[in-house]
Amino acid sequence: MTQLQVLPGLQEMVDSLVKIVTSRTFLEIVIFPGLLNVLLSVAFLTWLERKIIARVQLRIGPLYAGIWGVLQPIADFVKLLFKEMISPELADVKLLMLCALGLMMLAAAPIVTIPFGEAFVIANMDIGLIFVFAVMSLFPSVLLLIGWGSNSKYSFLGGLRSLFQQVAYEIPMWLSVLGIVMLTGTLNLAEIVRAQQKVWFVIPQVLGFAVFFTAALAELERTPFDLPEAETELVMGWMTELSGAAFMVGFMAMYTKFYVMSALITTLFLGGWLGPAIIPEPIWVVLKTFLVAVVIVTIRGTFPRVRVDILLRTGWMRLLLLALVNIVVTVILIWLGLGWVWRV
Amino acid sequence: MPDMIFLALSAVVVASAVFALEAKELIYGTIGLGVSLVGVAGLFMLLGAEYLAMFQVAVYVGAVVVLILFTIMLVRRESGRIVDEEEPASFGSVGIYVAALVALAVAGAVILLAPVSPVAPEFYQVQLQDLGRSLAASYGVALVILGLVIGAAVVGGLTLVKIDREEKPSGTTE
Amino acid sequence: MEPLSSYIILSSAMLGIGIYGLVSKRNAIRLLFSIELIVNAANINFVAFARYSNPPILSGWNIVFYSIAAAAMEATVGLALILVAFRLNGTIDIRKLNRLRG
Repeated sequence: MTQLQVLPGLQEMVDSLVKIVTSRTFLEIVIFPGLLNVLLSVAFLTWLERKIIARVQLRIGPLYAGIWGVLQPIADFVKLLFKEMISPELADVKLLMLCALGLMMLAAAPIVTIPFGEAFVIANMDIGLIFVFAVMSLFPSVLLLIGWGSNSKYSFLGGLRSLFQQVAYEIPMWLSVLGIVMLTGTLNLAEIVRAQQKVWFVIPQVLGFAVFFTAALAELERTPFDLPEAETELVMGWMTELSGAAFMVGFMAMYTKFYVMSALITTLFLGGWLGPAIIPEPIWVVLKTFLVAVVIVTIRGTFPRVRVDILLRTGWMRLLLLALVNIVVTVILIWLGLGWVWRV
Repeated sequence: MPDMIFLALSAVVVASAVFALEAKELIYGTIGLGVSLVGVAGLFMLLGAEYLAMFQVAVYVGAVVVLILFTIMLVRRESGRIVDEEEPASFGSVGIYVAALVALAVAGAVILLAPVSPVAPEFYQVQLQDLGRSLAASYGVALVILGLVIGAAVVGGLTLVKIDREEKPSGTTE
Repeated sequence: MEPLSSYIILSSAMLGIGIYGLVSKRNAIRLLFSIELIVNAANINFVAFARYSNPPILSGWNIVFYSIAAAAMEATVGLALILVAFRLNGTIDIRKLNRLRG
């Protein structure tokens, strides 16, 4: 214990700082399931995606950086860090970097409410689900700012397309989990996982799962909904004018959103940490999350892209109708007296 | 400790509100407004209204700020960005005096006349179920009317901004 | 916990900033900013009073619920009006939009 007698208050400050840094919450935030977990999973996801897409397209994918190319994300990271940051003449570089960092922070924020075990959640919020959705509703404005701040017509159009798409699919996403909230009566994600001990929610809420999965694909801007980054049309959409370190942050933000959304799908519909006790609970969550990620990546490799008007019509009309039908089905389930199965 | 959080949040709210009004670029002003509204949501959480804080973030910052950004991008002049030109000095200073007078009058009146004890009771966690029950039961009519008003506002807004083109022959995609 | 008067002072300060914006700005969108600031000041006031009462009043939360939704709708229609005014007049400077006077 250091003895700093210069100022009497300094000793207390050092003590409280040490207490904070070694506290359980801080370690959880920094190591698992927080910062380190997110960074490693994002790196692993980029490698996984490139390998799976390669196999689907009868190629091999990254091969030379480490065994099976596992160190490829690290190589990309180092390369992007040392690249020169080129930006258009009147573009606002400060705004771009700030918004890219903000995007990364917003994408990683919902991980604090996702339960990784029976009592293993960083922030056990009674309004956890609404918190996740409120944070997700902040994405479109940041994307619009990046698209506008690039001062280039292509990225602005890409930003507008992303905005339209993400705003259109927010409402089916909110409505599709309404069935789960009705069955469990709580917005707490840990309680929702605990309520799935007899039956996972993917079974009674098939429609809700389908709607949420589709809306998640659209929110992540992945094929078949990746019109904003249609590589043959708009280069990279809103990310066109980002380069070097800003591009790396934006790219990582996209994959962080992917990871967090997959974790959310497993928590809400696939039973979170529930499973036979041979494997410890956090490993169950990680396994199920990567299963969902593999499915989403395979969908990217096998589906074509949809046209923008079909995209918007699906979001506003068809998914909305399906979500409402799901609510009716849930009401019928409760009225038939089956609500007790999911009461904790 | 709560005092520091309250001071920090109020500083953020007031500072970004002033920045929202005084920034030369309208877009920076909108970002300032967004930060101020998130600060207000933080104050709601400090007052124990967590659900309201999330509601505020989702509706105000998630929807209204996006709308404002969108409108700003649609009303730009062709030559460049919209810049709020310098106000004539006399008008500006009158505004400050009027605003300060009103704020002082309101604050003074409320503090001196409100029959409420100034110290907070112990922390009462309002149950989310109570809020839901009161929304559905006591305020159910208001909720339905709110839904109708929202529908009317959306229809009205869309009708206002609709551009009347010539009638095209039908037979487009589906 | 700080006394209730701190919250009242904060919401009056926001009210003052909003009134200053309404009085002395001539860009229609800045007027909208000011209106949103005033509504938020009132919301903070409602929630503060609902919390500091003994027993806490739940209607304060309900009123703020409706207030946030109604203010969002008012911003929607207001922005639509600003768009239409811009299309018809080419400007959103409120000192030039005075054709209904006289």
